[in-house]
Amino acid sequence: MLALCDLGLVLGLLFLSTPAMGSCLDNYQELLGQLQKQADFMQHTSMLLDPYISIQGLDKDGLKEHCRERPGVFPSKDALQRLSRQEFLQILNTTLGHVLHRLRTLQKDIPKAQDLEKLNIAKLNIRGFKNNIHCMAQLLPGSLEKTEPTPTGPGASPSPTPISDAFQRRLEGCRFLHGYHRFMHSVGQVFREWGQSPSRSRRHSPRRGLRKGTHRTHLSSRNKRLMPRGWLPR
Amino acid sequence: MALFSAFQTTFLLALLSLKTYQSEVLSEPLSLAPESLEVSIDSARQCLHLKWSVHNLAYHQELKMVFQIEISRIKTSNVIWVENYSTTVKRNQVLRWSWESKLPLECAKHSVRMRGAVDDAQVPELRFWSNWTSWEEVDVQSSLGHDPLFVFPKDKLVEEGSNVTICYVSRSHQNNISCYLEGVRMHGEQLDPNVCVFHLKNVPFIRETGTNIYCKADQGDVIKGIVLFVSIFEEPKDFSCETRDLKTLNCTWAPGSDAGLLTQLSQSYTLFESFSGKKTLCKYKSWCNWQVSPDSQEMYNFTLTAENYLRKRSVHLLFNLTHRVHPMAPFNVFVKNVSATNATMTWKVHSIGNYSTLLCQIELYGEGKVIQKQNVSVKVNGKHLMKKLEPSTEYAAQVRCANANHFWKWSEWTRRNFTTAEAAPSEAPDVWRNVKSVQGHCVVTLFWKPLSKLQANGKILFYNVVLENLDRPSTLKLLSIPAPANGTELTLDRCSYQIHVTANNSVGTSPASVIAVSGDPGNKEVEEERVKGTEDGFCLSWKPQPGDVTGYVVEWCERPGDPLCDLQWKNLGPNTTSTVVSSDAFRPGVRYNFRIYGISTERIPYLLEKKTGYSQELVPSDNPQVLMSNLTSYSFTLSWKDYAAESQPGFVQGYSLYLKSKAARCLPGSEKAVLSDDSICCKYKIDNPKQKTFVVENLQPASFYEFFLTPYTSVGEGPQGAFTKVTTPDEYSHILIRIILPMIFSILLIMILCYLKSQWMKEKCYPDIPDPYKSSVLSLIKSKENPRLTIMNVKDCIPDAIEVINKQEGTRKSLTETEPTKPTYLYLLPTEKSHSGPGPCICFENFTYNQAASDSVSCGHVPVTPKAQPSQLGLLTSSENVPKALGKNYVNSLGEIPAGETNLNYVSQLASPMCGDKSSLPTNPPEPALCSEYKTQMAIPMGLASPPSITLLDEGEHDH
Repeated sequence: MLALCDLGLVLGLLFLSTPAMGSCLDNYQELLGQLQKQADFMQHTSMLLDPYISIQGLDKDGLKEHCRERPGVFPSKDALQRLSRQEFLQILNTTLGHVLHRLRTLQKDIPKAQDLEKLNIAKLNIRGFKNNIHCMAQLLPGSLEKTEPTPTGPGASPSPTPISDAFQRRLEGCRFLHGYHRFMHSVGQVFREWGQSPSRSRRHSPRRGLRKGTHRTHLSSRNKRLMPRGWLPR
Repeated sequence: MALFSAFQTTFLLALLSLKTYQSEVLSEPLSLAPESLEVSIDSARQCLHLKWSVHNLAYHQELKMVFQIEISRIKTSNVIWVENYSTTVKRNQVLRWSWESKLPLECAKHSVRMRGAVDDAQVPELRFWSNWTSWEEVDVQSSLGHDPLFVFPKDKLVEEGSNVTICYVSRSHQNNISCYLEGVRMHGEQLDPNVCVFHLKNVPFIRETGTNIYCKADQGDVIKGIVLFVSIFEEPKDFSCETRDLKTLNCTWAPGSDAGLLTQLSQSYTLFESFSGKKTLCKYKSWCNWQVSPDSQEMYNFTLTAENYLRKRSVHLLFNLTHRVHPMAPFNVFVKNVSATNATMTWKVHSIGNYSTLLCQIELYGEGKVIQKQNVSVKVNGKHLMKKLEPSTEYAAQVRCANANHFWKWSEWTRRNFTTAEAAPSEAPDVWRNVKSVQGHCVVTLFWKPLSKLQANGKILFYNVVLENLDRPSTLKLLSIPAPANGTELTLDRCSYQIHVTANNSVGTSPASVIAVSGDPGNKEVEEERVKGTEDGFCLSWKPQPGDVTGYVVEWCERPGDPLCDLQWKNLGPNTTSTVVSSDAFRPGVRYNFRIYGISTERIPYLLEKKTGYSQELVPSDNPQVLMSNLTSYSFTLSWKDYAAESQPGFVQGYSLYLKSKAARCLPGSEKAVLSDDSICCKYKIDNPKQKTFVVENLQPASFYEFFLTPYTSVGEGPQGAFTKVTTPDEYSHILIRIILPMIFSILLIMILCYLKSQWMKEKCYPDIPDPYKSSVLSLIKSKENPRLTIMNVKDCIPDAIEVINKQEGTRKSLTETEPTKPTYLYLLPTEKSHSGPGPCICFENFTYNQAASDSVSCGHVPVTPKAQPSQLGLLTSSENVPKALGKNYVNSLGEIPAGETNLNYVSQLASPMCGDKSSLPTNPPEPALCSEYKTQMAIPMGLASPPSITLLDEGEHDH
């Protein structure tokens, strides 16, 4: 029953993101609401982390405690809150691209097709979320180019050191997924703040962005520091 | 001599040569030691690979040698493995040997050394060991890196149930390391201060993704571990090989389960035949083809090897090729020469060698069942004659074959359908008749049952009916009735006929069925007997008939209520005197009538007996309509003559009459019974079903009874119905009626006569005084408008004085009488308006009704004593006189009788004072003309009313 609910929610979210794949929603509030809901949904560990822990046999006392996010892999909530909206979207888009890449790696260590199902659903979900990010970026002037579908060129793709040790690999995968869910939780909170105080701080509201005209946003050195470790452009 | 000399020279040369060889070997014994020993490791497989060579062999020299290898762990003195490895050695050949360590090589330092010796029979004297090589050290730990903790072996693949050795290597002496297998702590042995070894025995399969084994330091966040991939790898099952054409062997098996391995570690299957030494890698997981060698190899010894990353599993199969022949299905199968009863089946088989014979099995199917089964030996062509077939019948024949010499498997069936030819019907149709006499003719309805498939031998096309007049044998009449008719109606004269009925198909005619119809229907009156049916049917029996009887026929209708009846009959032999008639059409509660006929030698049926019965009796479906008659004080008669007992779903055996009465005891002839509603009544049982009347006697006069009549069968009574109520008349009521009614009639007659007589007497003796109002003169006077001649109406007069006379009830006394009477008051006072208005109002109070209080009215209450003269009334108009006038008997006042408590208000209208004798009035008469108004009167409650009654003077006594 719970699985059915999950599946229904996933499908619902996918449908929500469907318009963005063809033509984007031009309603800022509606799109923001979608992003909030999707981020809230993707933060649930039942989507990825819990099944992964179960499949890999990491659900043992003394082992679970080591399945914690490694600092620096994902941007912290504070770091995300300090970003402008365009920068936030760009970081989010890039990070999720790396998550997709890592999920493909994790997929190799899961032999059973039925166990892969949730992973595939999560990947679909992330793709839909990225499309919505792209749509949101279109509503925020100046950040359009930066939130195009994530390139896989040098410097953007993660290049973690290959781990030949299966145990360390699954432990790192677990930590990564833990960080991913935490990251999505932070993302949801940031989106929620967007909705609560559209003109707070120095971030750009859509209207202000429009008034300012074209504003090409480049990754500042500060933003580069926020990039996940190992993903920094070389 | 010369020949001997030459032989001796040759021998010496050979001996010299041998000596030279021996001297070469023996002179350099140490040169055959292993050299260039190199040791490498395979961490994944935990193997040490040794590589060396022997340099000092002569060119093209090849010797058998044995090498002794020693492996030590941690320190060279701790030798853990010694093995002699024998091989043939060539000059400068690189020799290899591997050793698998149970302990992961990373866990400890290993050292290897070896020595060699010649182990060749040609030179047994050279069998001695060479010197040891130097120890070759393998130390993997030194290259592990600087991590504080390591666990080995990494990602090891093992089979379920095997033993595994695990170790950790710690770089820190301070930390206490604890290790766990799936969360359960393990306890090991310390190999050295930094290395601890754990021996896992009989490792289980936990999950496909492997078993987690990890070690943690007490301090810090250090955790390291390994994944032990445990595999379940079973050997293939049901391995079998067979050939269908002696050219190719097809081997099949069921793969054993292979769980716990990742996809890249899937199994592979190899088929090896030991006699031929051939080997093939199978493409599929469950079968493999093998080409039979053309050299007539008969015996095959196969080894199927399933292999995965970890190990191999093998199964073996040894067989003779000719014993594993699974023939191909027969081909060119035909069914030929199909007649009404025979057919021939032919087929061919694929040859399985010149010397082999096939055993073929033929099965003949009819109506889905195997009716014939036959085995035939066949070389190449097969043939089988199928006999005793039924005409015009569909059959299926199929054939399969197997190796007759060494049965292995049957081939697949090859099947053919065919239909035999028709034949003439074999049986005469079963014919019966029904004879009716209509207008001097015999109407004969013939019935016949369709022939069964076995009897018809084909499709029945028509029936021939031949009518033979027995009185005139030369007269024949033929009727042809097309199928599928199952009867016909014939109208015959009273002559006797013999009727021949035959069934015909395309091939021929059936034997004739003969039945005779005599001029005399012969249906003599036979009494009907009852028969009891059962679930199995009706068991009918009859008396055997004297004389020649060719048989009996039992006839009945399966649908008795239906006009078509669905006539059925059953033919029975001449010696039969009973039978059981059963039918699925028999229904409970339906009465079936059976007639039993005897068939004479002339084929004339004559009725013997009649039977009637129910397959299952039911309770009556309805109750009779009962009529009551002859009701007397002591009895009444019930009748239900219209009730059709024959239409009930059971034989009515009688009737039950229930009688309810208030009497506690039941009347004679009845007994107490309890009804379904638990009420108690008396029950009369009428045992005679033909009795349709019943007299209920010994009743009580003027008593109430209820009765209910229901029939009953052997199963029970009819439905519960409503009781009919009846009350018996009184014993004397009829007498009273006979006397009182004439008396009443007589009195009425007398009264009418008296009335008529009194009218006559009245007219004659004291006619009515004419009424002046109704006089015709009055109308004449009115027309002349003379008011003086108008008849005065009392209503038009306005009284100005009222004389009230108090008189005793029952007597009339004048007001002048001095006898003390109860005071009566009358006052004539002007209204308040009259004080300011032009004239006084006249107000009077009737003491029957006390005047209501009103603000607009201020009438003075003037007590009128009985002594007061009428002339004094007019003086009593002053209000101050009122208190005085209020006597002790009259104490009403406005305050005492509030308006709200009044029960009645009367309106008294003062008429215009236009008439009356004014001269008789006392002084100061009021002028009522100016104050004509309504006064309310209210009724006084009875308790407050003045007890003395006031009686106004009669009109005649009243002085206006």
